[in-house]
Amino acid sequence: MADNQTHLTRTFLAGLWQENPVLRLLLGMCPTLAVTTSVQAALTMGASVIFVLIGSNLVVSLMRNLLKPHLRILMFTLTIATFVTIADLFLKAYQPAMSAKLGPYIPLIIVNCIIICRAEACASKNGLLVSLADAVGMGLGFTGALTILALIRELLATGQIVFEFGHKVTLLTLPEVPLFRMAGMAMPVGAFLTLGLMLGGVKLLTEKRA
Amino acid sequence: MSKLRFFWEQSWLLLVSSLIFGVLLAIADTAWAPRIARNEVEKFTRLAGGMLPEAKRFEPIESKIPVDAGKGKTVQVEVYRAVDDSGRRVGWAFVCEGSGFADKIKLVVAADAGFEKLAGFGVLSSNETPGFGDKITIPGGFYQKQFVGAPAQTLTLVKTGDAERIDSEIVAISGATVTSQAVVDILNRYVSAVRTALQEQGLLRN
Repeated sequence: MADNQTHLTRTFLAGLWQENPVLRLLLGMCPTLAVTTSVQAALTMGASVIFVLIGSNLVVSLMRNLLKPHLRILMFTLTIATFVTIADLFLKAYQPAMSAKLGPYIPLIIVNCIIICRAEACASKNGLLVSLADAVGMGLGFTGALTILALIRELLATGQIVFEFGHKVTLLTLPEVPLFRMAGMAMPVGAFLTLGLMLGGVKLLTEKRA
Repeated sequence: MSKLRFFWEQSWLLLVSSLIFGVLLAIADTAWAPRIARNEVEKFTRLAGGMLPEAKRFEPIESKIPVDAGKGKTVQVEVYRAVDDSGRRVGWAFVCEGSGFADKIKLVVAADAGFEKLAGFGVLSSNETPGFGDKITIPGGFYQKQFVGAPAQTLTLVKTGDAERIDSEIVAISGATVTSQAVVDILNRYVSAVRTALQEQGLLRN
């Protein structure tokens, strides 16, 4: 029992740091670079990925003993596509502005390598609880990395963090210093630069620990 | 083993899953489709209202207008009459769509009361390239501004020119010629067909 709990905790924590999909495994780079111009967009993408990860991991785990080898990838894709379509419809219904802002990146979760990687590496080999812990850990790890990246980019590009729920809410504003206004941070170059520095930081941290 | 039994043994999971997932998607679509449609109506009213500020409401005309959408397809367009508080007609608005660079582009187009000049266009949905083609979505941006007051007739796309001059020549967005051309093509296909139909129905007379 205690071993089981340790395994569950270890699986959950791995996604947050040791095997963080963005910072350690370098998976899901397209949404990481594309939707991190604002914190709200990053959080919405993160929540959508968590939902799809949990759904697909649970379904794949349930059907793992029934999977024929040649139909494995087809079944994974079918499962993932279903949950992605549900997430996309939900956003269109309840968050239309954010759905329009994220554009094709929500439907593109279907080809997000994190999801199919977890279905293959974890859910198709483990039970429901482990698959759930893996999905939540990986999802939160992905969301965390995206949020930190978006926080840096949005702050440096616009000088503030803004959320829109019908009306604008400014959560944080930087002082009016020229250094804090770098329009390039909202562009792809800003995404690559920030992600590169973050990866360098993570490498430094892990090397020191070792 | 019979072929049918072999087929069933190999694919039953795929068939059963497809059925279950299909039902799940149908439930989600049924539950949220009305809300999605309402969101689109609100967006239409907001976009068209922004182009025709005097408009207080949009009333659909009696019959839909057939427009040749290319490739042998004909679409039925619902055209809305924009009226002010006193019921006076202040313009026209309708939704049109066509293929863009990445996906379908869906636009709201508005014209003045006599359907002589465009009041502009707004983007209902587009998945054009971020940083390039998606510049068509910027309200008041250099591309959209060229359509405000442009003649409601055939438009031409040019790569270089004076974007400030309002005429039938539209200057393309650098690096997004396909998207720029797509918008011009959509407008060319729909605007003249809608204007002709409104004239034939006598709806453009005061």
